[in-house]
Amino acid sequence: MEFVLQTIANGLLAGALYGLVALGLGLLMGVMKFLNIAHGTFIILGGYLSFWLFNLWGIDPFLSIPLVMIAMFLIGLVFYRLALSPLLKLPDVGMRIDTSMLITFGLIWVLDNAMTMLWTPNVRTILTSYTGETFRFFGARFSFTGLCGVGIAVLVGLALYSVLSRTYFGKHLRAATQDAEAASLCGVNVQRVYLISTGIAIALAGVAGAVIVSSYSISASGGIGWLLIAFVVMVLAGEGNINAIIPAGLVYGLLEAGSVLIFGVPYRQAIALLVFVLVLMFKPQGLFAKRE
Amino acid sequence: MLQISNIDVYYGDIQALWDVSLRIGDGEIVAVLGSNGAGKSTVMKSISGLLKVRAGHIDFGNIRLDGLPAHHIVELGISMVPEGRRIFPQMSVLENLEVGASTNAARKTRQNTLEWIYEFFTPLKLRAKQKAGTLSGGEQQMLAIGRALMSVPKVLLIDEMSLGLSPIVVQELSGVIQGINKLRKLAVLLVEQDIELALSMASRGYIMENGRIVDQGDAKLMLCNPRIKETYLGIGAEEKAG
Repeated sequence: MEFVLQTIANGLLAGALYGLVALGLGLLMGVMKFLNIAHGTFIILGGYLSFWLFNLWGIDPFLSIPLVMIAMFLIGLVFYRLALSPLLKLPDVGMRIDTSMLITFGLIWVLDNAMTMLWTPNVRTILTSYTGETFRFFGARFSFTGLCGVGIAVLVGLALYSVLSRTYFGKHLRAATQDAEAASLCGVNVQRVYLISTGIAIALAGVAGAVIVSSYSISASGGIGWLLIAFVVMVLAGEGNINAIIPAGLVYGLLEAGSVLIFGVPYRQAIALLVFVLVLMFKPQGLFAKRE
Repeated sequence: MLQISNIDVYYGDIQALWDVSLRIGDGEIVAVLGSNGAGKSTVMKSISGLLKVRAGHIDFGNIRLDGLPAHHIVELGISMVPEGRRIFPQMSVLENLEVGASTNAARKTRQNTLEWIYEFFTPLKLRAKQKAGTLSGGEQQMLAIGRALMSVPKVLLIDEMSLGLSPIVVQELSGVIQGINKLRKLAVLLVEQDIELALSMASRGYIMENGRIVDQGDAKLMLCNPRIKETYLGIGAEEKAG
């Protein structure tokens, strides 16, 4: 019984992080139709920034999250200007998705090697005074850093939801996505909205990286693994369904924990990919798709 | 107030407008008429900044419009209802209208503007929370016009308002536009294939053919002109055939 409870606890802790990992990808792909293959690599970059802030200045990895977000936001602005903004001239959205995929695929190699040069290929993690501390609820153990990760994932998910649904900026972004030309005729500066949204998406990747480096570890080439998780969660949530990403992450985390319990650790990724394929085959609109 | 002077406009390498000049005075309704592909919509897209002007210029008061981005032109007080309505189908009716009030000036008066637009278009008020994609064609056109009005324009450009709508709905919409024109001193530029409708609403009309303006004049006189009737309304042709 305790074993099952612990499995659920592990699933929830990992799942919240998986949701957080997928948010930035979901914003760029679901809302703006840029497929950012380098999303996982940006997550790693955020992790390294957090690692640096801790190692060089001793700033706590959770307290440094705002700094990481600001830095990653600025990197996102450059990323948009150099890599994504030229794609708006393409005649249709399908071409935009394809081309952004190719460009960001190339970007992985540039960023991977740059990070290897800057931070060496060693695996990095952050060890604070509270790393490894745990709490007990109903016989299940929760790690302190894991719980912080859950809190941050929920907070960030809610913040993104309210920005998209309540603010002028969010409405402009959704309008621009549905019909960029019509939005510009309403006085929306489409280029500026996309620029800032890309900054937000990359800042979200940064948050995920900061949480990962404090509870797990990162290495310069580890981005692809996180990209895979982000992809599966995005597909579970349903394309464009930003609100469902954190819940989808939790579902995926629980599935993964369950599969580890039943089939053992070696099949973890195989199960993940099986879920990905099954959802695409039988429910391509996602598990959380709203009925029209 | 809005003056187009001798503009040439291209789609890529293909010239679409030759030496087009056109004027809209304060609070005036002007119609641009012509058959499909004559260049009417191109004129509108040039004013609203969606197309680049290669030669000639467009002036609004003493501000030069050509070369400015579309969102900037909305800020100056020119708003366009695009052909095919182009509402945001996944957003609610109210959200569509809110996006219409994107400019700084429009945001300040948003609540006020919303109220008078709801008065003119009551179905929009009743369906404020509904997704815009679920509206009927006529309601979508109301929403498209309402959204364009939310930016509190001085000039409203309406591209093919009557397209795909029943005659009753078209009558209703044109009545509302004339009402708003009178009450709020709003200048309107209509692009229409339905020539009778457009000339009955407008004070002046321009006729386009193959990217050029071939005739212009008082709308009431044009409506009685037998040559225009024959060419564009097909009345003369039918009589001959009969």
